Amino acid sequence: MRQASARRGGGATSSHDEHQESKPGEPGDAEPDVRFTLANERTFLAWNRTALALVVAGLGIVQLLPPFPGVPWGRHALGVPLIVLGAIVSVTAYLEWRRTQTALRRSEPIPQSVLPKILVGTITGVAALSAVVLLVSAVR
Amino acid sequence: MLPSRPEDRSPGAAALPEDPEDLSPGTAAERTRLAWARTAIAFGAVGLAMLRGEPVAGLLVLAVTPVIWALGRYVSTKTRPETRSRRLLLVTVAVTGVAVLAAVAAVLGHGGPVRLR
Repeated sequence: MRQASARRGGGATSSHDEHQESKPGEPGDAEPDVRFTLANERTFLAWNRTALALVVAGLGIVQLLPPFPGVPWGRHALGVPLIVLGAIVSVTAYLEWRRTQTALRRSEPIPQSVLPKILVGTITGVAALSAVVLLVSAVR
Repeated sequence: MLPSRPEDRSPGAAALPEDPEDLSPGTAAERTRLAWARTAIAFGAVGLAMLRGEPVAGLLVLAVTPVIWALGRYVSTKTRPETRSRRLLLVTVAVTGVAVLAAVAAVLGHGGPVRLR
């Protein structure tokens, strides 16, 4: 594993460029190697595509699925949480992009992302809820 | 570009860096442009999917798609940090907006069994 600090300015940017972009009055807050910045940006975009996929999945469940017999609230109970998760993922991805960018600037360790936990928690919950809806629908 | 070590560009050179991108961050910028293109395509796909149930919301999403695409065209290694931050904030607002539209369509939309009106 190579550290961000070791790669800062190495090859891609000259030290002159770094000092131009660093904020005055904040020593050690120089712009990181542009490749880290771009990788961070791609991670942000990937999470936003995940968010869009969640939204479209939620909308598909509500609008395209036939109603569950005996469970009129079933489609909404499954679809709406996925749509809300999409919004949460998008906003969290931006906050984490900023956090990571700040850590890169200061050559600090990159903070761990909470997004996988949020995603796993919600998808597990929706999966469990689907089982409940199907069972209730089968019983009625 | 790395003008100080032009000899590294030749294949099989002894002094090749362990990461080819040490020569030039160009491929990183290219990958990022492609990621923006994928995001714009995903955005367009969501717009088309919404068009069926909610034509107005779908058209609204489709109208924003070219903006996302255009933002991706300007990915560069020399982008100012504030400009980058503003572009990503715009994407966040757009995706969150789509989620809000979808939530409204899901709760109030046509064909749903839940009627709040």
